[in-house]
Amino acid sequence: MNYGKTWKRIKSELDPMTALQTLISFSILFLFLVAPLGSMVCQAFIYKDQVSLNWFFNIVSDAEFVSVTPRGGRLFEVHRETMYIWGLDHGILLNTLIVAVSVAVLCSVLGVAVAVMMARYNFRGKEVFRVLLLVPLLATPFVNGYVIGKIFKPTGGLVNFLFYDLLQILPWRIDIDGLFGIALAQTLSFYPIVYLNVFASMMNIDPSLEEQAENLGSRSFRLFRTVTMPLSLPGLAAGAIIVFIFSMEDLSAPIGFIGARANPLSRKVVSYQIYSSFAEALAGGISPKTFALAVIMLTVAVIGFTVVKRYVSLRSYAMISRGGRWSPRARVPSLGGQTVIYVLLLLLLAAASMPQIGTLLLATTNWATSGTFPTELTGKYLGTLSTNPDVTRAIINSLTYSGLAVVFMVLVGASIAYVVARRQIPGRSILDVMATVPVAVPGIALAVGFFLFFTAYFRGTALDPLIDPSLLLVFAYSVRRLPFTSRAISAGLQQIDVSLEEASLNIGARRSTTFLKIVLPLIASNIIGGSILSFVYSMSEVSTSSTLGALHEDRMPITFYISQIVYGVAAVGAVSIGAALCVLLMAVQILAMVISNLILKQRVAFLGV
Amino acid sequence: MVKVVLKGITKTFGDVVAAGDINLEIKDGEFFTFLGPSGCGKTTTMRMIAGLEHPNEGRIFFDEEDVTDLPTYKRNTGMVFQNYALWPHLSVFSNIAYGLKVRKVHKEEIEDRVKKVLNLVNLAGLEGRFPTQLSGGQQQRVALARALVIEPKVLLLDEPLSNLDAKLRIRMREEIKELQERLGITTIYVTHDQEEAMVISDRIAIQNKGIVQQVGSPTEIYNKPESLFVATFIGGGSLLEGIVEEAEPPFCIRVGNNAVRGIVPSPSEAIKKGEKVACVLRPENFLLKEPEAAANKIKGVVEWTAFVGARTEIRIDVGGNRLLVHAPRDVDVLVGKEITVYIPQEDTIILPLEDGNR
Repeated sequence: MNYGKTWKRIKSELDPMTALQTLISFSILFLFLVAPLGSMVCQAFIYKDQVSLNWFFNIVSDAEFVSVTPRGGRLFEVHRETMYIWGLDHGILLNTLIVAVSVAVLCSVLGVAVAVMMARYNFRGKEVFRVLLLVPLLATPFVNGYVIGKIFKPTGGLVNFLFYDLLQILPWRIDIDGLFGIALAQTLSFYPIVYLNVFASMMNIDPSLEEQAENLGSRSFRLFRTVTMPLSLPGLAAGAIIVFIFSMEDLSAPIGFIGARANPLSRKVVSYQIYSSFAEALAGGISPKTFALAVIMLTVAVIGFTVVKRYVSLRSYAMISRGGRWSPRARVPSLGGQTVIYVLLLLLLAAASMPQIGTLLLATTNWATSGTFPTELTGKYLGTLSTNPDVTRAIINSLTYSGLAVVFMVLVGASIAYVVARRQIPGRSILDVMATVPVAVPGIALAVGFFLFFTAYFRGTALDPLIDPSLLLVFAYSVRRLPFTSRAISAGLQQIDVSLEEASLNIGARRSTTFLKIVLPLIASNIIGGSILSFVYSMSEVSTSSTLGALHEDRMPITFYISQIVYGVAAVGAVSIGAALCVLLMAVQILAMVISNLILKQRVAFLGV
Repeated sequence: MVKVVLKGITKTFGDVVAAGDINLEIKDGEFFTFLGPSGCGKTTTMRMIAGLEHPNEGRIFFDEEDVTDLPTYKRNTGMVFQNYALWPHLSVFSNIAYGLKVRKVHKEEIEDRVKKVLNLVNLAGLEGRFPTQLSGGQQQRVALARALVIEPKVLLLDEPLSNLDAKLRIRMREEIKELQERLGITTIYVTHDQEEAMVISDRIAIQNKGIVQQVGSPTEIYNKPESLFVATFIGGGSLLEGIVEEAEPPFCIRVGNNAVRGIVPSPSEAIKKGEKVACVLRPENFLLKEPEAAANKIKGVVEWTAFVGARTEIRIDVGGNRLLVHAPRDVDVLVGKEITVYIPQEDTIILPLEDGNR
């Protein structure tokens, strides 16, 4: 190996611009991703100043965290004409894993079913369904769990009123709550993630692959089982692992259920435990046991993500052959078939849009206090968005944090995407991985890492969350949503030919001029699209907002404020104010989707591995 | 304008040799072409001259200046890319003015020079258009104008005509040649089209698998190919294999019953008595009457004839070997009849066999 030559080659690639881009990207990712997570992992292994597995043993041997025999809870038990569906308490850690696996499985079943209907059948009103199916994606943090909890109340809940009292279809009242309730709320919010990934996979299958199978005599379910489904598996795997990770770190369903029903079983998940430990942080710091818990969650998520990513990259064969006509196959089903499709889709839509519809009702009527049905319309809750100083402050905080985060994300995301796609420097694959990995990092674990790292090493500075969490929130949003920005920008870079840049360099422009004058304008729409998406995700970010955001009242972002309201800190009926804030969030999200679809002609860049 | 010197240029991508020890001197003001099949490394060689690739070994000089380690933006070369690489977000004017703005040329001068170069490439009046609003030929000219306006030391053209239709290709290559002669700019051209290379170039380098096989004027390359690859790549012709009978001028080989005498353009040490060699016979060099100059006389049977307008093509079977002969359009031959053809000895090219032909 000739080191002189290698160095020379690197030097010729490392012009000032590339060097700067690489340096900034590495620094930000190191300071706000690697170091916090790293110090959290280290702390979890230290007990009485020695390396030890103490905290992990502590968790595993504690029945509160791991208990093979159930310690409580009710699953399909009937008492006095009520069937209790709460789930069984196997300890906080096992509960979390059971819920996450269940949610991933349920979302996969629903997601695949919907994807098949949407990708392989043509029916009247398909376009309308396509839009409506995205409604559950609109985040209504905390209020979603609250609404589901409210609807499934044994007395006064809408479902029991309709199907038990009125129609008398149900033999008992049903009471969905606790872990099962959390899983239900999460499934309804997350299934579109699987659906969209599988749908994209199916649309990318070369039609000739299916035609060939049909030509050989395979049809309907056999065709689906032997060709369509195996080729869509990468999409399914990608969607399912994301749903799994989202479920583990989700705070909104547990807190929503606690707010609506106060069932202690809803508290028995890891995310809630970590959340509540932040309440103690102000008093005396966080226990190393919490670090260990976060490390376990992080490990499970990262391993799952890595396995799936490897699997997906091994199996991306659906796209290989691309010759000939390319119109994905879709058939018009028989009348009976169409009816089945309509019934299934409408049922699903009705169920999955409950949180969004419920949020609207809470915000615009007196439903929060009126019982089964709302009795009067009111504008006073939406009015608080501009009149209540706490509410407006939260809105302004969130807008500021998200706006600043977008600037960082674009800066770092564009740099990483460019360096990875165009420059041959050592370490660029590390950069690539570092820009993807935040997808797999549970936000709640990152929050713990931030707290630990910045209170320990930046005490008393602007980055100390105990003094002011604002800056940390900005960086937390930036890092957590970075993969979306950098992926949107990479997609743009892949579409512009390298020769467009080479032509500029050849004429005498430096790399920086070329980047500013040629590359940026050409990927502007991708940058704007990525920014909009990241902005929206930042506005509705839950995990770090409701943990780090809790450390300073004046600095709280919207989502922390909603969590406080829903959790019941505020007065009765205040949940409607939370719902009003969720309506605002939904409006922002819809606006963003419309802009990226209509103006930028981009499909919403999507969550995938 | 400069002369371009390549000294021992080598570039490999993994196992693939894109440039194998290339030594060349491209003269000031010369129109020089790299010609070869796709994948032979000609584009890579040009990209190294442009500074877009860095050679593993060797140096590149513009006149006496070693430019090997200069990045492309400091070399002052004007490159026209195969796909033109026009920036879709900039107008024709801005595309062309780009290089001048980079060089901080005064605004009025920019306008003046863009106007002049647009006139030069016959595009006056199209300044305001965007690349997508132009035809293929117009895009080509914008790309050319963009490269020329910066008054580069060397003009680099990478298969510039390959995206145009056949008629336009012929017109554009004449325009490019005229322009080059008018400006006297050192021009390096890359193509896989041998006719294009012959028409346009002062000298041609034939490249195969990264190695430059021969450098010479179109006439030299055509008439005196130094290797079988060059002989078969440039121009058509029939290939006969034979055994060397005389390894000194006039060289003689035996092909079946015929003794064929000819010339050896490559170093003649490679031709040894008793060894198998090849001889290349160009179809247009055959005569139907015996010429005054020394000629080989070949007897065969007419296998097939075709009237192609300007001439008649005849395929002759000579003891199992087939020869293609171009005859005058009004020649009168019948399939199945015996025929005698002549080819001057100086047009009979004898070459050693190469790996793969042996």
